[in-house]
Amino acid sequence: MSVQQNLEIRRSSASVLGSLSGMRSVPTVSKYIDTTTCIGCKACEAACIEWNDLRRVATEQTGTYQTLPTLHAEFWNLIRFNERDFDGGIVWLMRKDQCMHCDEPGCLAACPAPGAIVQYANGIVDVNPDQCIGCKYCETGCPFDVPRFHQTTGKMAKCTLCVDRVSVGLEPACIKACPTGCLQFGTKDDMVAMGVRRVEQLKGNGFANATLYNPEGVHGTGVVTVLAHGDHPEWYNLPADPHVPWGVKLWKKILRPLGAVAIFGAVLGAFAHYTKYGPKEVRGADDPNSNLPEA
Amino acid sequence: MSTVAPHRPLDAAVITARDREDVVVGNEIVRHNRASRLIHWTVAGTFIISLLTGMPIWTPVFGWMAHLFGGLSVARVIHPWAGVAFVIASLFMFFQWLADMHLEPDERDWLGPRLFQYMRYETDDSRVGKYNGGQKLYFWAVSLGTVGLLLSGLLMWFPSAFPRLVIEFAFVIHGVTFILFVVSLVFHVYLGTAAEPGTFRSMIRGTVTRAWARLHHPRWYREVTGEEPRRD
Repeated sequence: MSVQQNLEIRRSSASVLGSLSGMRSVPTVSKYIDTTTCIGCKACEAACIEWNDLRRVATEQTGTYQTLPTLHAEFWNLIRFNERDFDGGIVWLMRKDQCMHCDEPGCLAACPAPGAIVQYANGIVDVNPDQCIGCKYCETGCPFDVPRFHQTTGKMAKCTLCVDRVSVGLEPACIKACPTGCLQFGTKDDMVAMGVRRVEQLKGNGFANATLYNPEGVHGTGVVTVLAHGDHPEWYNLPADPHVPWGVKLWKKILRPLGAVAIFGAVLGAFAHYTKYGPKEVRGADDPNSNLPEA
Repeated sequence: MSTVAPHRPLDAAVITARDREDVVVGNEIVRHNRASRLIHWTVAGTFIISLLTGMPIWTPVFGWMAHLFGGLSVARVIHPWAGVAFVIASLFMFFQWLADMHLEPDERDWLGPRLFQYMRYETDDSRVGKYNGGQKLYFWAVSLGTVGLLLSGLLMWFPSAFPRLVIEFAFVIHGVTFILFVVSLVFHVYLGTAAEPGTFRSMIRGTVTRAWARLHHPRWYREVTGEEPRRD
């Protein structure tokens, strides 16, 4: 979102602290997606484009009803269509793909620009283009392959969870547009409770492996997804065990402090050497320790 | 009648150092001709720019460096191009000095104890030619590191073209190489200035004194002057 919302910030990229005052208790919000009642109408795609004033991207034929092969800097909400063999027949799966608003966002961990990616107190993860330097590190940090580089602006772009609407008490545009009610919005606790109820229902209806996708690897997501075939998240193009990439963790948590210690240590080491051994002087002929040959 | 001060001619050593190396001029010996010095300082300059634009991206602790270039977003644009310039300059430097950098068998121990003896001023330097084993190892380490920085840097510059795991490796390689570069650079600068007086002028004026050459590079002194350096 172009303007930082009037919300407290829980975490900010490349910064030690956010801006939590501790005076308010803001519940974490979440989207709820029930893939079993999604009819693939793409109303959410259209609503997302309209509300966020995104430019129209030419559709691409992928062999299915899918609008584009993948997310795009001007297309933040994509219904993914998949067909899989199941129980002697096929299942037709549709899942709304967008930023998952992780509780532990890999994009934020990877981002080197202070304040370019923020996590608001309500859990929404947002790119702040003012601070974004377009380095694409978040692309590597994201376990869901969501952030996209915008060729025109030179900044990263992704779903904001309609933080501008949420911060004034409205539901996100995609939720509002959904005709079947497969999309809901509310507090994370409410959405998880709704998901758990729906999963029980599905299990009763013969979908023994139904789950609520809310992966622990990133401490849960701000988008909880009901999957009828929860034993195969990859059928929905979802990673089985997403987490902040090890390369990003190794860099930020180990190499960064290690590097600072090594660099300052080298400077200190040089000073220590100088004080102990001093300069290796070239001495003149009148010096008893002369390096010069005797005349 | 003329009020113009008499023209003071450049001394012979400076003129000789323009295009010749390893020759004696009076009490001085030309160590680095102008081409060598130009290449060295081009590499140094592009490296420093890469460093100052890269370190604020590495960690906010060095964020202040970005202000020298007008902010982090400018540093981010300059960094990869400065890196490319550094690699190109390094390529020239590599071939400029390659012939002098072949590690001789008895210099292998510079990788271990000899380096520490050298830092304690305990080595017998009588066999040391134009470059000592430590300088040669530094040359090869830096050359290898430059390749590592280039490859990992390109991957980080164009992450969308490669699998994420490859980019993660690139992050780690770029970071580790950068740390090793900075640590060795600190000692490179220290040894070339404070620790060994008389060295820095070889990269400015191009020449060193006979006494300096005798102390630090006796075999080179013998080769250039034909005189025996004194054994201390």
